[in-house]
Formats: sequence, C-alpha cells, structure tokens
Amino acid sequence: MKDAKASAGPVIEFRSVAKAFGGKPVLKDLSLAVGRGEVMFIIGTSGVGKSVTIKHLIGLLRVDAGEIWFDGQRIDQLDERGFYPVRRRVGMVFQNATLFDSMTLTENVALPLRKLGGLRMKAALEQARVRLGEVHLTEFADRYPAELSDGMRKRAAIARTLATDPEVVLFDEPTTGLDPVSARRIDRLIRELADHRGATAIVVSHDLTSIFTIADRIAFVYQGGIRALGTPAELQASPDEVVQQFIRGKSSGPMETPGF
Amino acid sequence: MSDRPGILASLTDRITRVGEGAIGTVRAAFDLVVLFLGTLGGLFRRAGRPRGAVVEQMHIIGNRSVVFVAVTLGFLGMVMVYQTCLQFNKVTGDFSQVGVQFIRLIVSDFAPTLTGMMLATRVGAGIAAEIGSMKVTEQIDALRMSGVLPVDYLIVPRFMASVVMTVALTVLGGAIMWLAGGLTAQYSFGVNPNIFYDLSLVTGVHVGLGLVKSLSYGMAIPVVAGFCGLRAKGSSEGVGWATTAAVIGASFSVIVLDFIWSILGFMIFGGSL
Repeated sequence: MKDAKASAGPVIEFRSVAKAFGGKPVLKDLSLAVGRGEVMFIIGTSGVGKSVTIKHLIGLLRVDAGEIWFDGQRIDQLDERGFYPVRRRVGMVFQNATLFDSMTLTENVALPLRKLGGLRMKAALEQARVRLGEVHLTEFADRYPAELSDGMRKRAAIARTLATDPEVVLFDEPTTGLDPVSARRIDRLIRELADHRGATAIVVSHDLTSIFTIADRIAFVYQGGIRALGTPAELQASPDEVVQQFIRGKSSGPMETPGF
Repeated sequence: MSDRPGILASLTDRITRVGEGAIGTVRAAFDLVVLFLGTLGGLFRRAGRPRGAVVEQMHIIGNRSVVFVAVTLGFLGMVMVYQTCLQFNKVTGDFSQVGVQFIRLIVSDFAPTLTGMMLATRVGAGIAAEIGSMKVTEQIDALRMSGVLPVDYLIVPRFMASVVMTVALTVLGGAIMWLAGGLTAQYSFGVNPNIFYDLSLVTGVHVGLGLVKSLSYGMAIPVVAGFCGLRAKGSSEGVGWATTAAVIGASFSVIVLDFIWSILGFMIFGGSL
C-alpha cells in the first residue's frame, strides 16, 4: 500500500524553502515531499515555523527562496488569483477555528461552496446543512459561532474546509485546546479522510497522542529545516537526542528552544 | 581612539534603522494606494460583496453617528458664532456679516471637514478594530481560503456606505451648525434671524468644494482604517495598535485632503471663494 502511494510521486514538494520575518530567519532550508493519500505530521516546538511552512502551500505566505510544487505544478510564484484553483484543491483548518462571527454555521459552511464551488445560495445552504450533519452539528446549524463551545467551532470549521472536497487538507493544531474526547474524534476524522476519501492530510501538531496514533509519517522541524523524517516507529527508534527529547517531552536536553 | 569602531557601528546602525523606516513608509504608502485602487475595482465586482452588507454598514457608519455628529457640530457652531459676535461687538458692533460669512464657511469647509474629523475617529476606530481582530484571528486568511477577496468582502461595503453617509451627515451637520449658530447670535447678541440666515454669498463653487471634500473624506476614512486593520499583527495588542493608527491616519488624511482641496480651490477659483 505504501509502495503504491510512493510510486505515484509526491503530491506536495517543498524544495529548499527559506522564509524570514523582519530579518529573522524562520525557515532556512526546508525540503519535504508528501505522498498522495498520506497523513503527514509536521511537529516541532512552538514558533519553529510549522504553521509558516503549510501556509506557503495555499499562498497565504510567499517564500523568500526555494520552490513549492503541487501535483506537478510549481506554485510558489503564483499571484492571489493564480492560487484560486490551488485553494479549490487544498483546504485548510486554521488553529483558531476562524468561523466568521457575523454568520451562522450554515452560512459559514455555505460560503466556500458558493465562492469556490460555484453553487447558488439555496443549493449551498442545503449542502452546508448536510456537511454540518456529518460532523453532528445539525441542531446547531442556525446558531452563531459565539454561542458554541470550542470543540463545536472546530468541528464546524472542519466541515467548512471539507465542504468543497479538497484533495489535500492542512490542519493547524487541530486538537490544541480541546478536551481529550473531542481531540480523539478529530484524530479519527483525519484518519478517515485519508483512508476513505483518499485525501492527503498535513497536520501541524504537538499533540503526542495524535502523532503516534494516526500519522503515516512524521517530519520534525528544527532550526529552520527538517531534522528527522520517518514513520512513528522510525522516529521512536531515532538515535537523535533532540528528536528523543521532543517525543518524550523532556524539559532538559540538547534541544535549543529560544525564549526558555 | 579605541571608541571609534563602536561609534561607527552605532552610527551605521542608526542610519540603517532610519533607512529601513523610510523604506517601510514608502512601501506602506504604496500598499495603501494599491488598496484604494483595489477598492475602486471592487465596486464593479458585485459578486464579492455579502448580501445586505452595504445597508448594514450604512446603518453602522451613518445612523449610529447621527447624534455624535449633530451634537458636536451644533456646539461648535454655537461657540464659533458666540466668539465671532463677541469680537465684532468689541470692534464695530455690526453683526450683519456674521451669518452670511458663517454659512459660506460652513458649506465650503466647516461642515465637511468637522464631520470628516468626527467620522475619522468614530468610524475609523470601529473599522480598524473589527478588521484587525479578524486579521489576528486568521479570519481574513479563512476568507481568502473560501475564495473571497477580503477587499471586496470587507472594505468595499464600508467604502460605499461611508461615501454616501459622510455626504449625508455633512449636510445634516452643516444645517445644525448653522441653526445653532443662528440661535446663539439671536439670543446672545440680538441678531435678527432674517439677517443671519442669508444664503446670498453661497455659490455653486462653495457647494462643489464642500461636496468634493466630503466625498474624498468618505473615501479616505474606510480605506485608511481598513488598511490599518489589515496590517494588525499578533494578538489584542496588535488590534489596539491598528485602532490607534487608524484614528490618527484617518484624521490626518482628512486634514491633508482639506488642505489640498482648499489650495486647489483657491488656485482655480481665486476671488470667487
């Protein structure tokens, strides 16, 4: 199964990507290839550039140097409109759920269906209700985001991202701030996405339970590049002390963590 | 002597910082112009606007500012006329020119500019805070991911609402200022209302100049405030920065535009102003 995925070639490829903010380099030389249908976890300490990495894929950030390829097409030089077709195929679930406060859940989910999917208002709203049903939010469909719990908001945001059936879904810390039960439900949803819909998932996370339960492969970001890459078993067996410190969650060790 | 490299380094550092600041300012000005042009372009892209957003924004920007603008301009009208009459009283005691000159100034300058200043603070802060908090909570990125241009969705409705409501509030504010000034002149100095409320010196040039000013403020305020909101970074502190920057920027642009239009008006129409 893994071989079949690998032979199809990577769906996403970062080639020597560099990015600095205000003169401070965050990514220095990051290269990573993600296969079709894979659940790839990007892990690392806070502020190391995990979210920054995935935001380049959908044109929310621009690389300073390097290349990004999506399905055989170079995308790092596209303009805002050039990214529209990419955003139709690559969805993102943001860290803060980011539902639009002024809209009900149904309207939130209907927005990409109208704008990206080209549906009319009525059809988009009907479709949105179906999508909310899939994440068990039917009875809250007409509520506003402010009236709901964090877990519900997160689920609604996932429904909004999945509404247009993207081939690749980016998750930015999907389980952060959720109770363990909600977190494991989100994990299951991500796994099903890959197993049943054949979608590729790239998950930024430092939730060790998620990492070792659902990841196909893990990329460990450290000092602006990929320090280690492999299956959960491979990472657990890694002789690299920095990797070991992170996955064992030890407060002392060789890892450099700015600010501590 | 041994200090020289240190002094040189600190000097170079300072020059670099000034240079970076200057480049940043030029870039920001360029981005602001791009946003303005994008907003104008957005007027022709109807599909990007949420339904009913313009009417909703007209209510927020216009209706909710009525009392604020009316009270401020009313009081300012009273103070201005009172002070003017007080001075005239000391010199000639002839009040015949007060009303006729006052309305000329209201139409060409006071009403649009004072209304613009008031809206720059109230509306500018509101727009920047709202868009800024959407920016820091990644809602703007989520909009882009949903296939929506943030300019069309957020700035254009506020722009359209602001242009219409700034002109409307200017007319209202000017009328209240004139009325309040007239009542002050009548009750404090016994000026005959028939002499005060005299429109004979107001020409099309004054009305045109006032309208142009009002329209330009109406355009500048939401664009400058929206620009500050879109540049908010970090968390609530970033939103605070954006709000402050918006109030300063929007008020400043009203004053600069007032200056530019007044100079242009004087150069073109000269004595007829």
